[in-house]
Amino acid sequence: MPAPVESSKKRKSVKNGGAPSKRRAVAEEDTFAETLSKIQELENQITESRKHYNNIATLISMLNIEPSAKEPELAVAVSLCRVFSRLIAAGNLTESNRAAENEKIIVAWLKERCLEYQRALMAIMREADPTSQITALTLAMRLVKERITHIPGADNNIWATLFKDIVTAVVEANNGQDLQTEFVSKFVKEFEDVRFFTFVQLAEYADVRRSPETLDTLVSILSSCDDAPAADHEFESFFVPRETKTKQLNSVNAHKKRAQEAWLAILRNNLSQAQRKNLLRIMVHNIEPWFSRPELLMDFLTDSYNVGGATSLLALSGLFYLIQEKNLDYPQFYTKLYSLLDADLLHSKHRSRFFRLLNTFLASTHLPATLVASFLKRLSRLALNAPPSAIVVIVPFMYNIFKDHPTCTFMMHRTIRDKDVAADVEKNGMNDPFDDNESDPTRTNAIESSLWEIETLQSHYHPNVAAIARIISEQFTKQAYNLEDFLDHTYQGMVESDLGTGERVLRKTPVVEYQIPKRIFTDRLLEEDGGVDSGPAAFLRELWDF
Amino acid sequence: MPPSQLKQLKASLRDSGVIRPQQSKKQKRENAKTGASAQNRNQRNAALQAIRDRFNPFEIKAPSNRSKFESTTRDGPSTAAKGYRPGVTKSLGEERRRATLLKEMKDRHKTGGLVDRRFGENDPTMTPEERAAERFARESQKKMRKESMFNLEDEEEDFQLTHMGQSLTLDGKTLDDFDAEGLDGGESDDEKSRKRKRVLPEDGEEEEEEEDQDFIDFGAEGEGHPERKKSKAEVMKEVIAKSKFHKHERQQAKEDDDDLRDELDKELPDLFEALRGMKAPPKQDEPAKQDLAAMNPERAAMMQAPEQQDTEKQYDQRLKQLTFDKRSAPTDRTKTVEEKAEEEAERLKKLEDDRLKRMRGENVSDDEDMADDDKDSFFAGDESEEEEDDAMAFGLPTSSTVPRPADMGVEDEDDFVIDDDLVETRSNVSLSLDGSDMEEEELSEDDEPEVAEQEDELINGMTLPTSTTETAVGITQSATGKLAFTYPCPADHDSFLEIIKNVPAQDVPTIVQRIRALHHPRLKPGNKDKLGKFAEILVEHIAYMADETEEPSFAVIENILRHIHSLAKTHAINVATAFRARLREISKVRPLNLIPGDLVVLSGISTIFPTSDHFHAVSTPAHLCIARYLGQCNVEDLTDLASGAFAATLIVQYQAVSKRYMPEFINYALNALCNLAPTELAAELRAFPPRKIAENLRLESSKKISSRKLQFDDVINSPNDIKGEEELKLSLITTFASLLGSSSDIWAEKSAFTEIFTPAQVVLQHISKSFKNKVLPVKSALDKINAHLTQAHLTRRPLFLHDHKPLAIKSAIPKFEENFNPDKHYDPDRERAETNRLKKEYKREKKGAMRELRKDASFVAREKLREKKERDSEYEKKYRKLIAEIQSEEGRAANDYEKEKRLRQGKR
Repeated sequence: MPAPVESSKKRKSVKNGGAPSKRRAVAEEDTFAETLSKIQELENQITESRKHYNNIATLISMLNIEPSAKEPELAVAVSLCRVFSRLIAAGNLTESNRAAENEKIIVAWLKERCLEYQRALMAIMREADPTSQITALTLAMRLVKERITHIPGADNNIWATLFKDIVTAVVEANNGQDLQTEFVSKFVKEFEDVRFFTFVQLAEYADVRRSPETLDTLVSILSSCDDAPAADHEFESFFVPRETKTKQLNSVNAHKKRAQEAWLAILRNNLSQAQRKNLLRIMVHNIEPWFSRPELLMDFLTDSYNVGGATSLLALSGLFYLIQEKNLDYPQFYTKLYSLLDADLLHSKHRSRFFRLLNTFLASTHLPATLVASFLKRLSRLALNAPPSAIVVIVPFMYNIFKDHPTCTFMMHRTIRDKDVAADVEKNGMNDPFDDNESDPTRTNAIESSLWEIETLQSHYHPNVAAIARIISEQFTKQAYNLEDFLDHTYQGMVESDLGTGERVLRKTPVVEYQIPKRIFTDRLLEEDGGVDSGPAAFLRELWDF
Repeated sequence: MPPSQLKQLKASLRDSGVIRPQQSKKQKRENAKTGASAQNRNQRNAALQAIRDRFNPFEIKAPSNRSKFESTTRDGPSTAAKGYRPGVTKSLGEERRRATLLKEMKDRHKTGGLVDRRFGENDPTMTPEERAAERFARESQKKMRKESMFNLEDEEEDFQLTHMGQSLTLDGKTLDDFDAEGLDGGESDDEKSRKRKRVLPEDGEEEEEEEDQDFIDFGAEGEGHPERKKSKAEVMKEVIAKSKFHKHERQQAKEDDDDLRDELDKELPDLFEALRGMKAPPKQDEPAKQDLAAMNPERAAMMQAPEQQDTEKQYDQRLKQLTFDKRSAPTDRTKTVEEKAEEEAERLKKLEDDRLKRMRGENVSDDEDMADDDKDSFFAGDESEEEEDDAMAFGLPTSSTVPRPADMGVEDEDDFVIDDDLVETRSNVSLSLDGSDMEEEELSEDDEPEVAEQEDELINGMTLPTSTTETAVGITQSATGKLAFTYPCPADHDSFLEIIKNVPAQDVPTIVQRIRALHHPRLKPGNKDKLGKFAEILVEHIAYMADETEEPSFAVIENILRHIHSLAKTHAINVATAFRARLREISKVRPLNLIPGDLVVLSGISTIFPTSDHFHAVSTPAHLCIARYLGQCNVEDLTDLASGAFAATLIVQYQAVSKRYMPEFINYALNALCNLAPTELAAELRAFPPRKIAENLRLESSKKISSRKLQFDDVINSPNDIKGEEELKLSLITTFASLLGSSSDIWAEKSAFTEIFTPAQVVLQHISKSFKNKVLPVKSALDKINAHLTQAHLTRRPLFLHDHKPLAIKSAIPKFEENFNPDKHYDPDRERAETNRLKKEYKREKKGAMRELRKDASFVAREKLREKKERDSEYEKKYRKLIAEIQSEEGRAANDYEKEKRLRQGKR
């Protein structure tokens, strides 16, 4: 058992530790009680008369935050908070002009102590263990409340100084997960004014370039804030009760504006690729609602869209939102979209997300057939190298598009009417008219091509995938396939559906190869066959030695 | 004015031919001979009935709902339109009730009584002739059946005509075998069986003609035939029966005499003894001996055996044996060698055809519905899914039911994580031995499993019991020295390991052999299960051998695999389950990190199961496992690439027959080549997703090295020195190149061949260039691909997939029924039509039954009332009689008194 220095720590370890001798426990209890009573006494003395104000200094020194605030004395902090609250409530911290000189000195001294105490709390929030951090946060917030309530006209000042320090401390705290969650759930979500000023402070904070970790914290705090208030929202829950509320705090627009600023500050910061992806992922649900002018997101989104790869895929939905809602004009949207169809797309984990969007983008029947055909041909090319779970999506997707764009069905069925051309094809074969390198989807000539790739996939190794690929060559009697059913399949799921859980016994006896091979790995009995290796696994033996 | 009723009656009688002029005797006789008289009688009865009806118009009740308009239907006028005769029906019902219900009522509280159970005795619908004929038929049937085991009258003709006990057969030989034994035993049996049978028809017949009798049936009523004189046949039968009875009695008497005589004969020795003055010891087996004399000797011998029980058992057994004994049949001619070969070839051809059928996904003829069942079980996830899922139709699992695996390390295709914990730890168990020793062992032992296998093949997957294997064991024993002859059949892998703990690796096949021989299913009933379990253990063991041993002996693994294969022929389910369990483990624990054991198991699958099947319970998941590995695995060093190459080789081998396309293979091979190539590929290839390997694995082309054949060991250990490493790289390049070459052969027919192999062509060209065309396999693969590409270009045609017959436009014309019948229901829903029919029938039956019950009740009430009235009137009568008696007595007494009085007065 480690020898604890502080009584509270001792008490904890007594509680947590094994079974120390009773006497020792009693002794510890005694010291703890002693300290408590001493703190109580000091506190009482302060309340009794101003003579004992020096006790404040004693208490602050007892906080034990030097050199680092790893193990603070919480009881002291609590009692100090009480002391200062009382003092603030009594107006002892406000200096009046008419007060005597010595009064002024006392007030100034008290203010200094108060600042010192606040600094101590911040230090605790930054350094200490989560429990102490949370306590310190609560105490600091209480101070904020007291000071705003009892010192008239000080609110802006307090929000700008003390609260700023709190926010900074919360963001920069060591192991601050719990602290941040506590801060968000107890204060930011609860009280609308706290949220308002948090936005203000975060916007200010994020204006400077910050480290990626800090940005992560900022994003997590911001994204866990409540949903954006509706336009006719009545602001009711305030941390600091006031009769006259500032206009700002009661206006939805002001709130949104602050949030927007905070977000923008973050978006302008130096984001890593992963953070960018993360932001894009939460864009539609968490960020955009806060923006009164979503067009401000345009730059960020277009930049992300131009990055390529997964980032582009993710930017797509945000961009779509802007196009749809805010009438954003994105020149050559489809060209860009077409360029997203690269070899990685079908292997990406955002595949389903992309297909859902692509389904929306290509839903219009007014799109030119050449363009749609390019997408189809491109997808079928990609399907040749795709995992089964992607092929399973592509084919029904194509089916639906064929239903909407019957002109494209030439890609599945084409008779060459021109006799000369037919003869030429018969003699010399043909090239694929599709131009793979053309980036403009209206010029790829895909509509002249055929979907040989899908036809090849009809002999895919997995029977279910092959069956799905076969719908292209059957009659199109079904109205449309529900795309959602085909998204989100994985290798794991397919293997599991094939293998089952192993509890069920096989219903049918599996067929066994009728001939037992003479050799599998070795050259056993090769002479008998005249030295020619054939039969099963011959290929394996040809390439491998065992 | 119409003639009087009487005159009308006379006229109609004459018209219908009931009254006709007197017939001559000759005519009468003729009629009787041809049976015309009976017919005439029937006709006359019918005519009389019709006349009676005509002359009694009050009996006919007009139909209540008179049809308003004249109408014609196909069915002709309905029966109801003619009117019906309530009186007749009522009286009929009354009569029937009197016959049944009343009887029942009277018998209600009585027990016992006589029941006439002769066939058809109470059946009024049968004529006496029919009755007799039926009885005769039954009797003869019963005789034919010979139910009794001891029924000895097999050959006798039961119904032989006799006269005065003398047979009437022409050859004059009297067949005197009316056996008392047979008669008695048979009769009692017959009696019983008849009773059983009789119960049914009598119960059934009563309700039969219940319905429909409310309506007039003008046809013959079918009953009320007058009692007829006995026919000649009947008389004859009676005579026969009587004569048989007499004969039997005579025989009985004779036998009694014989018995008596026998008894006396037997007592004769006693008598002699008594005469001599000594008493013989009492004989225990007197009764047995009594019979023995009369029996045939074999049976007697059997009976004499000490235990009766035993004898019976023996007898039963023998009997059974005899019944199951094969009749001798002409044997097939011994086949010549050519014929045998031909047969064998045909068998193989059939098996191959079956395989092709399965490859195309068709059902193999004999188990069509089974396959359907199977499809359900394999493909459909949850059949009770409420909402329809399009993907389900193709056998994909519903996305909701298959949660994305979160704890797998790899979340999805995008990022690849390798879990360090999953990398296998090789134990230091060393079971391998030096090579030279092994070779020799191998040779000596190799011959005998072959023999067994040959047997195996010949008798179609059934190993012979001990005889062959015993000798085999003998052979191996000399080769391997000290090995036990008997081993228990292990129940799990651990116990198997326990068995082979101290055995050198190359002896394991011998042990497997012995275990299989010792636990051959023919030796003991439980052995089949044991061997199934053993097959599972062996599957586990091959993976174990590849995983755990430092240098797995592939000769041994191969041998065990072949054992598994041979076991799989009889225990397919067990073997498949074991393989599937292994695959499941792979997919759960290390989908992206195949260990040597997995590779061995996967190659085992390729030989044991047909990988060409459209769907196969083992090979399809195996495909998926390999594809997943190739598609998603993380390549970090050369061993990874080596195992990738092995997996790729397996894939190419899997698809050698069915030629199915496998995208993951192409991706992997091209990526591997790109990463191994001495220089980076200049052109950006857009077809396959590039995977960069963190570590630089490029071949340093400056060094002088030659490629070699890849070793399985490369999968496990990476070479230590740089030269070896470079060599391995070069070998990997050549291997992948030749894999691409072979796969281009396999997929040459694919319509998208150009699209698949153009990137391969580019990559190979690049590599070949950097080698200055010196590396042969790359060059040859490239040539192959080039040739196929030109061919593909020549054969390319636009797709022509939708050459279907155009679909018919849906018609909205109502369906017109030819020969529509309003009484028939044209419900297209068969089930609904059936239920409606049943409902209707039920309703009708219920109505009928209720009506009948009501009528019964009223009948019963009426009967009771009648009885009561009868009783009352009887009582009244009696009362009156008594009163009258008393009164007369009183009167007499009064008279006497008066007389007396008068006398006395007179005296006075």
